[in-house]
Amino acid sequence: MDDQAFLRVAGMSVGYGSTTVLDNLDLDIAKGEFVALLGSSGCGKTTLLRTIAGFAKPFSGSIEVAGRDVTQLPPDKRGMALVFQSYALWPHMTVSQNIGYGLKLQKRPRETIDSRVDEMQELLGLSGLGNRKPAQLSGGQRQRVALGRALAIDPEILLLDEPLSNLDARIRLTVRHEIRSLQKRLGITAVHVTHDREEAMVMADRIVIMNAGRIEQQGPPEEVYNKPASPFVAAFMGAENLLSMQARVQGDQIELAEGEFNQTSVTARSGRPLATGPVELRFRAEAARLARNHDTAMQGVGHLELRGQIVSVSYPGGHWRHAVRLGDREILVDADAPFNQGETVKVRIPAESLFIFNTSTNTAKPS
Amino acid sequence: MRNKLLAILLVLPALVMIVLFFIVPLIASILGAFEVGDAWGLGNFRKSFELYSSDMIFTVVIVTVSTALIGLFSVAIGGYLTLGENPRAVAILRWLYRWPMFIPFIVVGQILRTFLAKNGLMNNILVSLGLLTPLQTVGFLDWRGIVIAFVWKQTPFVTLLVAGAMASLDRSTIEAARNLGASRLRILIEIVVPQIAGTLLVGLILSFVTMMSVLSVPLMINAQSPTMLTADIAFRINAHGDYGVANALGMISLILTTGVALIYLRQTMKERS
Repeated sequence: MDDQAFLRVAGMSVGYGSTTVLDNLDLDIAKGEFVALLGSSGCGKTTLLRTIAGFAKPFSGSIEVAGRDVTQLPPDKRGMALVFQSYALWPHMTVSQNIGYGLKLQKRPRETIDSRVDEMQELLGLSGLGNRKPAQLSGGQRQRVALGRALAIDPEILLLDEPLSNLDARIRLTVRHEIRSLQKRLGITAVHVTHDREEAMVMADRIVIMNAGRIEQQGPPEEVYNKPASPFVAAFMGAENLLSMQARVQGDQIELAEGEFNQTSVTARSGRPLATGPVELRFRAEAARLARNHDTAMQGVGHLELRGQIVSVSYPGGHWRHAVRLGDREILVDADAPFNQGETVKVRIPAESLFIFNTSTNTAKPS
Repeated sequence: MRNKLLAILLVLPALVMIVLFFIVPLIASILGAFEVGDAWGLGNFRKSFELYSSDMIFTVVIVTVSTALIGLFSVAIGGYLTLGENPRAVAILRWLYRWPMFIPFIVVGQILRTFLAKNGLMNNILVSLGLLTPLQTVGFLDWRGIVIAFVWKQTPFVTLLVAGAMASLDRSTIEAARNLGASRLRILIEIVVPQIAGTLLVGLILSFVTMMSVLSVPLMINAQSPTMLTADIAFRINAHGDYGVANALGMISLILTTGVALIYLRQTMKERS
């Protein structure tokens, strides 16, 4: 067994009744690692988390914590604590009672519980709120009480089920960092479920992207962002612009055939597992550059240059966003200065920002 | 002006109904309680306490004990419906528990009379199973019979309310407790019941008031003394034509139920605020 894996999910299939949600899934998580399970709703990420927590029984496969098989153990015997999306605070108990309940169940002495509860309240900035009921707290405070309740029992693994989705957008940004720095400080292993790409990028050491009950790709944030392994991952990570072309692979080079809006362009293969044939190209709006039609400045090696017409211009903040028509398609391209509507422009996409996939290999539709 | 007239006209039928069939009889019977012969006085109340003070205690004790048992059973059944892990057992229980609700009190009395009597069905079964000899059999047709009848009839009603409230709880509050290692019994007592306490209280108060007004069960099961106030009221009227004492007993019942009705009102006010 790999020494690195602290939490190991092996060959796990889970479902409800006759429907299988997760099929033969493997996942290893190292001690102290913060892993984000990222995917759109219905991809099975919450089911995976609930199965790890012990609230859903797998059809097959195993879950191990530090080499110990916990597959058949009840939720409380797994050394894990789950923070629920709805926080699931007990409305009839005070903040202190909520946080201390796990310790009370472990039959710890009164003084131990009190000092641990104080410590948690201190840690989470809840000092002085101990006697309040959850209904008297703000969303952010409730979230921290839920976190405190989970952390009070000193779990080895913290499971977070979209813990930020019920917070205001502004509070969410600060709570992200709070949770992340807390996790680092405590050195706790964390599994975080989210559908928010940015949240996963900011918080996690490793992102596991799930689609239709399978793991599409996993790796550090910069890797899944810059080297998406499938069209689904590329789209989910923000490369929403989509073009179809013919490619010819020759050794270490990819030749993109001339089309109605582009000239033949040759780009480096860079180890991409591509075959000659129809391909789909994906890139982000901010990765492409816009240039005037008469701009003949030298373009970089391996750039793809497209010619299109500006359909509309908007200002989402920080940069101008242009919808550019290429034949029957439209793409979005950002630029620092606005171009005129109706203007014919060149769109240049650097080689490293261009994600190319064979059309036939993956039919999964990104949502 | 016309609108106002129309509004009054629309309310009038309901108002007339309430005044005619509720307020007037209530006031008449309250006044009747203070009428002794041709004069006003407390004679009826004095006589009520002389003759029936043990029945008053009997009534309060029986209804209170029944209410407590109904609370216990409804929480147990509702708890199993909510936390039970055997889907088949839960389904069977869910199907079974409501039936007594559809059986009238008089029929409940009738059923239990034949079941609980000294030579009734229950003892016959126990004797034929060899668990008791015919000499050891005891009839339950006393206060215990009334309690059994009340609990049997009213538990489903309270369970219906309680189980509904439990089902609409945020499931994750239960899972959060399980996650921290709480047993099912602890979850029921410490997590579930406190969250549905309001509904349970309302159900029990409505049951309390219902049981206070049931005549058929004490008549069918326990017609000897001491019995419940409802039986006494019927007896005063039917045997003696003594409306004065009957009215006084009625007012005493009313005062007893007013106490719990106040709790009910406080609870509903709290829920609305």
